[in-house]
Amino acid sequence: MHSEASNAIDQPSDEGPIYIHVRKKIPASPQRVFQAWTSPEELKQWWGPRNVVCSTAEVDLRVGGKYRLGNEFPDGKIVWISGIFETVEQPAELVYTWNVDLGQNNPASIGSEKVSVRFEKHEIGTELVLKHERIPDENIKSSHLKGWFGCFDGLLEHLEDA
Amino acid sequence: MLSSNNSQLPHDDEVLNLVFRALGDQTRRALLARLVEGPAKVTDLAKQFEMSLPAVGKHIRVLENAGLVDREIKGRIHQCSLNAGPLKDAEKWLVVYQDFWNDTLDSLVRHLRENPEIKDRKDV
Repeated sequence: MHSEASNAIDQPSDEGPIYIHVRKKIPASPQRVFQAWTSPEELKQWWGPRNVVCSTAEVDLRVGGKYRLGNEFPDGKIVWISGIFETVEQPAELVYTWNVDLGQNNPASIGSEKVSVRFEKHEIGTELVLKHERIPDENIKSSHLKGWFGCFDGLLEHLEDA
Repeated sequence: MLSSNNSQLPHDDEVLNLVFRALGDQTRRALLARLVEGPAKVTDLAKQFEMSLPAVGKHIRVLENAGLVDREIKGRIHQCSLNAGPLKDAEKWLVVYQDFWNDTLDSLVRHLRENPEIKDRKDV
């Protein structure tokens, strides 16, 4: 998608967590973007990549509160993303843990990933700065993530087998 | 290349940039997906993807530079095969989430364009 997104992939150190940074300029106020990011009704309207419908959204917006998002794929399969809020600073910042559950007792990650989102004031409205971080863990196989995107299905499967 | 035991790679940053550039294009991802099934001649790839030889050659070169594809030349025949090496576990994670967040944030922007006003004052 031809977005206004400017993305930077930061190079983590050898020892530390790996992470990605995504920045996006959004023509809406930080208050508005924060609301869309945290309102279950709105999340169901926009959350997820193209091939996903957000069928369920639960958000207990407070430090220690839980959230849960149902990501429904075209084949009907639902992948759950859930976690706990660690920082809630309306409308400037959110930090939460990120667990992906692919079902069949096959969690892709438990407690090893974290998402930080800052909603910064910008002349266009908001600059959203997102950091998604993964703490290295030998037990976690990214193979569990295969299938998120159809175009990578065959490729990732092959790489796992290689 | 994100772990210390891959120090044989000269410039980790550079390699990762090349890999991401290579994967950032739908046609090149489709070419890789095709090569998952087995090696292919460049001429056959051009036919299959309905592209000119120079066009498909350009994409193959980008994939070659990223180390994702090997090319074997026998006379006039250029045969391509997949080289899975550069895509380690960590990069797969990065690739998946880079796509995920780009797509998701695009969707957020569309949603806010269509729903510009704050709906519920009690939250904000």
